[in-house]
Amino acid sequence: MTGFAELVAATNYSFLRGASHPSDMVARAIELGMTGIGIADRNTVAGVVRAYVALRDAREKLTGQELPPFDFRLVVGARLVFVDGTPDIIAYPETRLGWGRLTRLLTKGNLRAVKGDCILKFEDLLEYLDDISFIVLPATSGEAQQAHRKPVDYPSDIPALRLVSSSDENSLSGTLRRLRSKAPGRVWLGTSIGLVGNDARQLARLKRLADLVDVPLLATNDALYAEPAQRPLHDVLSCIRLGSTIADAGRALEANAERHLKSPAEMARLFRTCPEAIAETQKFLARIHFTLDDLRYEYPHEPVPRGRKPLAYLFHLVKQAAQERYGAVLPPKVRKSLAEEFRLIRKRNYAYYFLTVYDLVRFARDQKPPILCQGRGSAANSIVCFLLGVTSVDPLEHNLLFSRFVSEDRNEPPDIDVDFEHERREEVMQYVYGRYGRHRAGIAATVIHYRQRSTIREVGKALGFSEDVTDRLSGTIWGSWDGKDVPEERLTEAGFDPSNPRMMQLKELADQLLTFPRHLSQHVGGFVLTEDRLDETVPIHHAAMKDRSFIEWDKDDIDALELMKVDVLALGMLTCIRKSFDLMRDHGLGDQTLELDLEAADTAVYDMLCKGDSVGVFQVESRAQINMLPRLRPRSLYDLTIQVAIVRPGPIEGDMVHPYLRRRNKEEAVHFPSPAIEHGRPDELHEVLGKTLGVPLFQEQVMRLAIVAAQFSNSEANQLRRAMATFKNLGTIDTFRDKMVEGMVARGYARDFAERCFKQIEGFGSYGFPESHALSFARLVYVSAWLKCHHPAVFTCALLNSQPMGFYAPAQLVRDAREHGVEVRGIDINASEYDNRLERRKDDQLALRLGFRQIDGFRKEWAKQLVAARGAGFFHVEQLAQRAGLPSRALRLLADSDACGSIGLKRRDALWEARRTPQGILPLFAHAEAAELGEEARIELPTMAFSEEVVTDYQVTRLSLKGHPMQFLRSTFEREGVLSCVEASKATEGKIQRVAGVVLVRQRPGKGNALFITLEDETGITNVLLWARDFERYRREVMAARLMEVEGEIQRSKEGVTHLIARRVFDRSELLSRLTDGHPLRLPPSPADGAKNPSDPRHGHPRNVRILPRSRDFH
Amino acid sequence: MRPADLHLKSNCFAVAPVPRDHAGEWSGIVTDVLSGNRRYLAIWFPFLPADRLRRNPPKSSASALEGVPFAFVEKVKGALRLTGVDARAQSFGMVPGLTLADARARVPQLLAFDADDHADRDWLKRLAQSCLRYTPMVAFDDPDGLILDITGCAHLLGGEEKLTADVSRRLAMIGMTTRTAVAGTSAASRALARYSQTDGDERAAIRRLPVTALDLEAEISLALIRAGLKTIGDMAIRPMAALAARFGGETVERLRHLLGEVERPIVPIHPPAPVMAQRRFAEPIARTEYTLTVLGELAAEVGLRMEQEHVGGRHFVATFFRSDGLSRTLSIETGRPVRDADAVIRLFRERIDGLSDPIDPGFGFDLIRLEVPVIEQLPAAQLKLEGEATIEVQAAALIDRLSTRLGRDRVFKLAPCDTHIPEQAQLALPAVEACSPVAAWPVTDTGEPPARPIHLFDPPQPIEVIAEVPDGPPRRFRWRGTWHEMRRFEGPERIASEWWKRRDGVIGKTGLTRDYYRIEDERGRRFWVFRHGLFGEKPDPKWYLQGLFA
Repeated sequence: MTGFAELVAATNYSFLRGASHPSDMVARAIELGMTGIGIADRNTVAGVVRAYVALRDAREKLTGQELPPFDFRLVVGARLVFVDGTPDIIAYPETRLGWGRLTRLLTKGNLRAVKGDCILKFEDLLEYLDDISFIVLPATSGEAQQAHRKPVDYPSDIPALRLVSSSDENSLSGTLRRLRSKAPGRVWLGTSIGLVGNDARQLARLKRLADLVDVPLLATNDALYAEPAQRPLHDVLSCIRLGSTIADAGRALEANAERHLKSPAEMARLFRTCPEAIAETQKFLARIHFTLDDLRYEYPHEPVPRGRKPLAYLFHLVKQAAQERYGAVLPPKVRKSLAEEFRLIRKRNYAYYFLTVYDLVRFARDQKPPILCQGRGSAANSIVCFLLGVTSVDPLEHNLLFSRFVSEDRNEPPDIDVDFEHERREEVMQYVYGRYGRHRAGIAATVIHYRQRSTIREVGKALGFSEDVTDRLSGTIWGSWDGKDVPEERLTEAGFDPSNPRMMQLKELADQLLTFPRHLSQHVGGFVLTEDRLDETVPIHHAAMKDRSFIEWDKDDIDALELMKVDVLALGMLTCIRKSFDLMRDHGLGDQTLELDLEAADTAVYDMLCKGDSVGVFQVESRAQINMLPRLRPRSLYDLTIQVAIVRPGPIEGDMVHPYLRRRNKEEAVHFPSPAIEHGRPDELHEVLGKTLGVPLFQEQVMRLAIVAAQFSNSEANQLRRAMATFKNLGTIDTFRDKMVEGMVARGYARDFAERCFKQIEGFGSYGFPESHALSFARLVYVSAWLKCHHPAVFTCALLNSQPMGFYAPAQLVRDAREHGVEVRGIDINASEYDNRLERRKDDQLALRLGFRQIDGFRKEWAKQLVAARGAGFFHVEQLAQRAGLPSRALRLLADSDACGSIGLKRRDALWEARRTPQGILPLFAHAEAAELGEEARIELPTMAFSEEVVTDYQVTRLSLKGHPMQFLRSTFEREGVLSCVEASKATEGKIQRVAGVVLVRQRPGKGNALFITLEDETGITNVLLWARDFERYRREVMAARLMEVEGEIQRSKEGVTHLIARRVFDRSELLSRLTDGHPLRLPPSPADGAKNPSDPRHGHPRNVRILPRSRDFH
Repeated sequence: MRPADLHLKSNCFAVAPVPRDHAGEWSGIVTDVLSGNRRYLAIWFPFLPADRLRRNPPKSSASALEGVPFAFVEKVKGALRLTGVDARAQSFGMVPGLTLADARARVPQLLAFDADDHADRDWLKRLAQSCLRYTPMVAFDDPDGLILDITGCAHLLGGEEKLTADVSRRLAMIGMTTRTAVAGTSAASRALARYSQTDGDERAAIRRLPVTALDLEAEISLALIRAGLKTIGDMAIRPMAALAARFGGETVERLRHLLGEVERPIVPIHPPAPVMAQRRFAEPIARTEYTLTVLGELAAEVGLRMEQEHVGGRHFVATFFRSDGLSRTLSIETGRPVRDADAVIRLFRERIDGLSDPIDPGFGFDLIRLEVPVIEQLPAAQLKLEGEATIEVQAAALIDRLSTRLGRDRVFKLAPCDTHIPEQAQLALPAVEACSPVAAWPVTDTGEPPARPIHLFDPPQPIEVIAEVPDGPPRRFRWRGTWHEMRRFEGPERIASEWWKRRDGVIGKTGLTRDYYRIEDERGRRFWVFRHGLFGEKPDPKWYLQGLFA
């Protein structure tokens, strides 16, 4: 029997058509004993790398088990689906050149269409058909596609919008004839036996046709999934695609489950009247020489000046920088490191890559004003990166190993990620497109997967569940639950019976659909650059965002193919730091750069941090970090590195935090776990865990542990690392559990330690910090803490001007600044600008003047007009209206925000004046109109109560310099015996107390065993901890309260941090409405922590509308 | 005394022909007498959608509504947001505008239903109809209220308070939560019903209303409050010109309306009909026959009046007011003016017979009214039917006649169904009911033999078969005692079962697959047979004959 290979196999990257993962298709094909498989998705090659990786891993596994490799070929290509009625054609490149043609063809189609669609006509194929073999299928599966209105950088030919019905020209025989004449010997006619009744006649007809046009017939099953059991899932996918329900879809669904991968024997039986069609699959396979391994590509040459060799030029740059830093004679250590790095760079030919990154960084720094940037991630292990100015930490000082960045055993390209100021990153991105051209630069894709919510919603809809049921199942409860399937408790929790048959169907299908790719989106900033045309390596798509284009492979694919990418990322703190430096320069406080105090040795800064005084400071400002600071007491940059890395899911879930703290505080001896004596040196972990007192905290320490303690081979460790990176999606990590834990136990390690290490790996999943990355971040922690410590006014001003960013809302930032002795001045029409700014006080201190940007809805151009027209100042509202030409809305906002103080108008009087100024008068008539406004009898308005002033401040600017709403309720609470926050912090430990305050943050971190709630009042804040088991009882109060009263036990850690362990929770929000005559008061929401901030209720009575703004919640 | 007054006393608003004014403006008899001193009753249904739903719960969740908070949701910019809540949900702090996800995070047991403005509107309409028992001047106060002009009507029920109490009582009987208020302008009654927290003197109560009662844009309301003008009273004592300059003419206009300084007429849901008769019953009547008798008497009454005027009715509306406050309206239309009571009653009887939901008298009707909103001169000559009917009309007429003569369940029309399962692919519907088909008939390619036989056995007939495994055609088979030798065949056509109709989940339990074969026997007869189950699915699958080809 000759072999058989399925050459028309779709995967779930044929979105909503294929019902199996590429890896499953490959695995099943191997299992069935095929000689190969051809992966061809609809107008895309997005899934082929996954198939390639699956095959590679399968081979690696065999090598690991010392089994002989099997003979199996993976060929990759695409199913071309045309809009002009041409039958579908499967295209497999025979060579690298053919691959380039195919990807260019797909790019052409993609760029004509809007995101996700692809417009191809048969004529397009004729331009690109060399070096490609084709299988023509009997019919088209085309659908109407949407044309892009402005295809980027592409000659505008007329896009075909609608499907053209098949004419003779496009009919099967016509297509075969034309294609055969252009590509002789490379065309096959694919036929399948789908058990539709007339298969025998169909086969005979195609055979006649094949003979007539002289192309061989090729047997295929046009597979959509790996196994017949996947038919229900495929039906559901079809329903999702068609937007119908399973009951209504009818004949739009496949009649049977035949489109799975069939064994060679079964195929031979089906094609018993035509065995040559089976044999043709082998002939076809033999023609294809291309594999994805051939995609070696060259890095752009641009950054090297004419006449210089890249390596020499790189060496020149680095040497110059080294001599500047270390002196003309380089220390031996530096020389040694440089020699080692250059050896690898030369060997691997990475010079261009380093120079490209250098080029980006240089571009950013050469801007006027410069854009701050700093490398993150493992690049900080490289002294070359440091000397090129890409990263800011000297790896020699911290004994960072280059091999963690690029290593000889790990056959992986370097990955340099650079952060830029978030407000100006787009400039860098457009520079990249501009410098390399859109055909050579593309952003990586991000594959958006089905998540629990979307899965349940869509499967539910397809199965005909009503929306309220699916919403109830998917949307109600906190966040999504991680993992591979939909837990039954979730169904029970939502009030459904998991044993109900319809629920079972929903659950089973949703479980299967979870982790399917849903669509492609663009990565946040990972660029792939090439010397040659990028579209000859991978197809390019339009991004939904204007002026962006992206390639259809994601980060993992790029890694797997060893392509290099540069991550151009955005970081808000860099914007803030740059603005701080600008302010310092403007106010004569010196000209600083990110290199300020490279030693990071200012004790004042550490003193401040040790007190937990870190609001606004990069990375260490969250509640958890603030609680950790006094316990860890950082005194050096490396301590900050640990501080940044330790409050993360990895170390927390691995239960490594407390051991580390105990050891650091000398309450526990530093002890290194060691293997049994017969298995190795007892100090084998010293080197791995030395810096962290024997406790693994960083990502790479755990990886080293796997190698050293569990004796993983390098390739296994690599697989583990890969599994870690993709853990969330694929769940392959479990397979490593036994190996690691048992491996360590077998060598005499304590099981408990081994399991904690593995837990940590799981926790690292996607949130682990490698040491070098944490170090880079620690630099920014130091810089921002330094600014906060020495220039609090500058720092707060810059933070406010960089919003939205960070963890706290302006109200908290301003409050913190005032607590640090900064005078904060209110918004005023005669003093403020759009941005917040600094004013020199009489005593030469700096005061912070709030800017118009703090007013909700106040436009930047209004502020510009106002400042330009200010001159010697305004004296009354009419003048403001006329001179600045402000619309009445702007005037009203200014009056509402009490910004007319300098012209002697209180808020209410200013508003009375402002509202009188008519709307929308032409400037020409403004003067004439103004005269008429003159006379009006004085109307007495009631004086605004102080509480109302504060409340209005919050309503308009989300913060008040005058007071806090809680102070007006203090007497009420005092009568009830409720403590203020400051009283609570002094209360006796163990006592049951009640505290009330405005809710700032609700968080449910990690595994969700506890909820952390932060309450604020006029005296300070209180940290509340509510155990999850009590949460259900107080769910409504916890979720709805804007003013919350909590009864609980006072607990104090030995560092003096007070917590209130909640026993009862009360919603006291109604008190707030008393303050305001029942109209809404908005307290500032805190912006970060993944909060979903539902906007204000749309309608309803002001008295029903909420008083305080959202706090920052979790969902 | 003027006739209008007389009619008011008998609570019979109109006798024969009163010239109709243009719709939307009341210029009838009542105004002439009593204008300038009007009284309005505003009824607010704070939980209109919720009360409606509780009264007519969807089948699936009828029992689930008991004691459970629920809300109505609508998709706004991609998020499901609450548009209305029930009292219980409101007590949990749910307010319109909240996203469903947020609401559920707080109250997980919250039930959500799609907001249905049409249903709400229809329900409000029915409520409005039922209020016609008090006055013909009932207007909508969108979206969830009614305003009744009760000028001169209150004394019939013993005064405003008694009338208000009667309204509330009747509405409460059908499960409606209400808030009511009576005032001298429609705006004031509305504002009092919706915003007033206090009882007492009407004037004072109006002045105590918050400025939000003006229903201004949120921005203006907020500005008024910021300016310290928090109640209607605060505004009323300040010069209107100054207010108008700052808060717009509309604001002042509304204020004046609320204060009773200006009047705006309400727009009644329908103006009183030119001809009307009604009968009240001390004891509610429940029997349909008696109801029809009464209707007949009323028809005779209006017929008599129309005869005097030489007019006939083209449109007759009967309204049955139930003692529990609900009402039901039936109307008939005629191609030509009619005033013959028998003819009218015959049409009403047909109408009642044809109702899908019969008139439910509940605890009985206490008022029946017959109105004739459209009247025309009754010509002496009869109209002729002219013009030729089309084929469809003729076919429809034939179907009507056949169905009437043979019985509606005996005349069928086949309709295609969109499914792969052969016996379910068409549906025989009573021909009188058949409407346009949902699915299209499958089309066989030209040159292809028919894919389905002309005759289908239902249920398929079991046959004994000798066949190849796994998926060969029957070599021989025995049907009705006779053996047939297969000479030629085509197939299999594999049709998998519809797994979603199975009761036991999905995985590995998708049901039996059928393999269909077209078989020609030695005498050239063609059969359609299938094997029920693949060999993988079932150890010994059965064979059936499902059809015969022509």
